[in-house]
Amino acid sequence: MVTVTININGENRTATVPPETTLLRALRDNFNLPGSKLGCDVGDCGACTVIVDGKPINSCLMLAAQADGRKVLTIEGLASMNGVHPLQRAFEDCASLQCGFCGPGVIMSAKALIDENPDPTIPQIRDALGGNLCRCTGYVKMIEAIQIAARVMRGETAEVNR
Amino acid sequence: MRAFDLYVAKDSRDAVMLLAKHSATSKVKVIAGGTDLLADLKFSAHSPNVVVDISRADELKSITVTDGGLRIGALVTHSQIMKSPVIQQMFPALVDAAHTIGAVQTRNLGTLGGNLVTAVPSMDSGPTLMALEAIASIQGPGGRREVPLTDFFLGPRKTILKADEILAEIIIPKQNLGKPTHFLKFGLRKGQALALVNVGASFWVDAKKNTFVAPRIGLGAVAPKVIHAPQAEAYLEGREITPEAMAEAGRIAATDAKPISDFRASAGYRKNLVAVLTKRALEGAYALAQAKR
Repeated sequence: MVTVTININGENRTATVPPETTLLRALRDNFNLPGSKLGCDVGDCGACTVIVDGKPINSCLMLAAQADGRKVLTIEGLASMNGVHPLQRAFEDCASLQCGFCGPGVIMSAKALIDENPDPTIPQIRDALGGNLCRCTGYVKMIEAIQIAARVMRGETAEVNR
Repeated sequence: MRAFDLYVAKDSRDAVMLLAKHSATSKVKVIAGGTDLLADLKFSAHSPNVVVDISRADELKSITVTDGGLRIGALVTHSQIMKSPVIQQMFPALVDAAHTIGAVQTRNLGTLGGNLVTAVPSMDSGPTLMALEAIASIQGPGGRREVPLTDFFLGPRKTILKADEILAEIIIPKQNLGKPTHFLKFGLRKGQALALVNVGASFWVDAKKNTFVAPRIGLGAVAPKVIHAPQAEAYLEGREITPEAMAEAGRIAATDAKPISDFRASAGYRKNLVAVLTKRALEGAYALAQAKR
């Protein structure tokens, strides 16, 4: 067994897990954060995407032990007392998700993109979503929502107006 | 995933000590970025008993220019290569190659060393580094040894690394720094595709005679390992740079290639791709040489 302490969504959390436990399994089973989804489990679908030390990664391809001492942001860490994150709001307003299974991963990829590049072009958004597979809604409305959220986050518009 | 014991190496020296200690009695695997290893282990019947995590060996995470050339630590991620100002300036082909690997998430995890050590013939890091005559710096319990990348690969998923060794750095020798190089990959789609064929081409231009100097061509996914195209290289050496010469070099490179037919493409299709991509990669390297003058 290995004992890991991970800063998850701003809070230090500790768990003792078998060494082969992935970060995704630890998040879901040990830390009770089921927002990150188990899809393909081999790094193709991106449903498990979380942000580790500022970078989006597949949490199914990282051992929990490898996240020891690092900062992890999951979908659960986006909303605050002031309400949902502008990305979450824009995804809702644009009807960017139908079944929603890929949503947490897509939104975390988009969050990492906007953090690094506050005004992304459509090709840059497409590149950032290259590791997130959606099989029902499609990507057009996601891209639209990400553009709107980026505008809100740049302070150019207070409301998500379409 | 089956159970294994995990040992976290503090640095590269600790890593080879752990490998030496455990490889005598156990089946050991090394984990760095995990993008290949963990995906494999979840579906593999041959699981290791011991995994050594080298991802915290921070001294293998830097990109530096020294007297010996450009040194890229084995734990440098594909994203790090894409964002490195030094690599962007010297070798945009390495940036292009890194960009075609996986997707953002896997590029943030996956390492250059891991891409090479996994030794899949379609690896996207291989052809450009072969064209640049890169050297593998290998660390073992007795210290470092350097091996040309051409001798590093033995076959599909096989390298010359011994059980107690790790790949520590990749060195692009000094004489090749800034050498005009171009990388091209053909996959069945843009995102997350494996290469049907990938090509790296590199040469200097004799500005007075407008001839090829030291042309090097690396080919991926067309042999059991990443290979050079020796006949095409010999044909180009000292020859005048013309569109016809580049097209002919492509045709010759297709005979250097020894592809197999599989569910992704037939051998004949791959040979045709080698001819076209080699020609275009040479054109790309030439355009870069012109732009640099």
